[in-house]
Amino acid sequence: MIKVLAAAVLLAFTAAQAQDKPAAAPPPSWKQGMTPEQAESTLHPFLIEVTGKAAKDLPVDKLKVPAGFKVQVWAEGLPGARSLALGDKGTVFVGTRQLKEVYAVIDHGDRREVKTLLKGLESPNGIVFNKGALYIAEHHRITRYDGIESRLDNPPDAKIVVDGLDPDNQPGHFWKFLAMGPDGKLYFNIGAPGNIVMPSYMQASIMRVDPKTGVIETVALGVRNSVGFDFNPRTKELWFTNHGRDWMGDHLPNDTLHRVSHKGMNFGYPFCHQGDTPDPQYGKYHSCKEFDPPVLKLGPHVAPIGMRFYTGKMFPAEYQNNIFIALRGSWNRTVKHGYNVMRVVLDDRGKVTKYEPFLTGFLVDEKADPPMWGRPNDVMVMRDGSMLVSDDQNGIIYRISYAK
Amino acid sequence: MAAAALALASAVSAADPKEGEAKAAVCFTCHGQGGNSTNPAVPSIAGQPAQFISTSLYMFREGNRKDSQMSPIAANLSNTEMNDLAAYFSAQKPAPSAHRASADNARAGPDLAQKFNCTQCHGARMLGQQHIPRLAGQQFEYLRAQLRGFKAGTRIDLDGKMSESAQVLSDKDIEILVDYLAGLGVQ
Repeated sequence: MIKVLAAAVLLAFTAAQAQDKPAAAPPPSWKQGMTPEQAESTLHPFLIEVTGKAAKDLPVDKLKVPAGFKVQVWAEGLPGARSLALGDKGTVFVGTRQLKEVYAVIDHGDRREVKTLLKGLESPNGIVFNKGALYIAEHHRITRYDGIESRLDNPPDAKIVVDGLDPDNQPGHFWKFLAMGPDGKLYFNIGAPGNIVMPSYMQASIMRVDPKTGVIETVALGVRNSVGFDFNPRTKELWFTNHGRDWMGDHLPNDTLHRVSHKGMNFGYPFCHQGDTPDPQYGKYHSCKEFDPPVLKLGPHVAPIGMRFYTGKMFPAEYQNNIFIALRGSWNRTVKHGYNVMRVVLDDRGKVTKYEPFLTGFLVDEKADPPMWGRPNDVMVMRDGSMLVSDDQNGIIYRISYAK
Repeated sequence: MAAAALALASAVSAADPKEGEAKAAVCFTCHGQGGNSTNPAVPSIAGQPAQFISTSLYMFREGNRKDSQMSPIAANLSNTEMNDLAAYFSAQKPAPSAHRASADNARAGPDLAQKFNCTQCHGARMLGQQHIPRLAGQQFEYLRAQLRGFKAGTRIDLDGKMSESAQVLSDKDIEILVDYLAGLGVQ
């Protein structure tokens, strides 16, 4: 047996020696799914500025919003600022993904005070404020901090809502978005374990947990990676954004906007993308007809993150119940696009009638590396009807307001 | 309407290479004048991408990277100080490498760098970009210690990409790559 093995090793060694170039190594997870033709691609994901960047060092005067609107820097010095939540007393809570902090921003009118509220968490990306408590979704668990707004300098210990959500701690889309549903349950995602791979039980899903009992349920399947959702204020239905796979070229597949009209829907991953495009590898196992299509194609590789329905009173009437979506990409595209906050207009039946840019100016050069100076990540409507936009590349929060 | 920015925001000072220069003297002791190291175990930081320098300092402060000399130095640095140091060192001119790769390793290096996905992020000439360091002309022993550390899981990076990439490297691959990289031109 040992001799046979030795011979095999020798044979493999000789074969390798005979080749002009060494055989390709197994790719790191983010390159998984590349075609052989893409082997020499120089596309790569971007990393946030982990120490943050000052607005003074950035071309913030290049940001543009429609006539009548105004965009300003609202707070800075929040490295990695992503998901936003609003407290009863007006505190803005801010989650991070690549860092370990949760921030609290206190608005003193003429200035903002930034506190690092919590440290040492595992990708605290999901963040919800509800009935005085702050809920945080980390990689592996969802926790609750009671009475948080009166304890900003002395936060209480975390209470576990659900734990053990990431048992393997492997690379994959396992950071979580978090939203409180009209049913009093916390909605969160468990993404796909790689770019294009067969998910296992509970992966590539949107789940919900009852914060009182910890009981979890599957809400939707076939969702590669959703890190933004909200509930339609008219119908109470869950809507969410989803990231399509990489390495299918510049034009496919689109990232998508979805509507969940009933429990148990399946949106196709890894078999079918954007409702109509079979996966080159997995498409032969299922037909696209078996799956629920998206409401809207948002553009290839644009990386939609936060989305919210606009329910404020400040913007003009035609903005009521529009959806705002922050696009944090693209990177997996030779010609970059996105990096905008988009506006989606729906008719009375929930059909999309318009999809257009709302906040632009982060993208500088579609062929440069990097192509942008900032990346919108989440959007949140404030009580006065203005809108905050987080930029995790720089650790800045912008405010968009409207005046006639 | 164009943005009317700034007025509302609490002040965060802009990255300032002059401020960085004033703070950099302590760095010269090991990293060399202007960040050009002459110690094979200590990396050159002159002309490295600014984001790589600030990210490295951040990782030392937060404990993602550990080093008996760097960790205590970074422990007391604010984000603004890190950005100032990054602005200063990224603007310094890197000195040419004194290292000469063996003829065999210089020949084998480029194919290995392609095979092991190095070029995709570090670039065809290994000059680095954004948070990704320039490897060309970097100190030999430092490079070897990093690759061995990534493979062993003792050198952690923020996003796991280097840890993943280094798992498949053999000791021999590391020797060839490091010799090749240390001998490359810095510009």
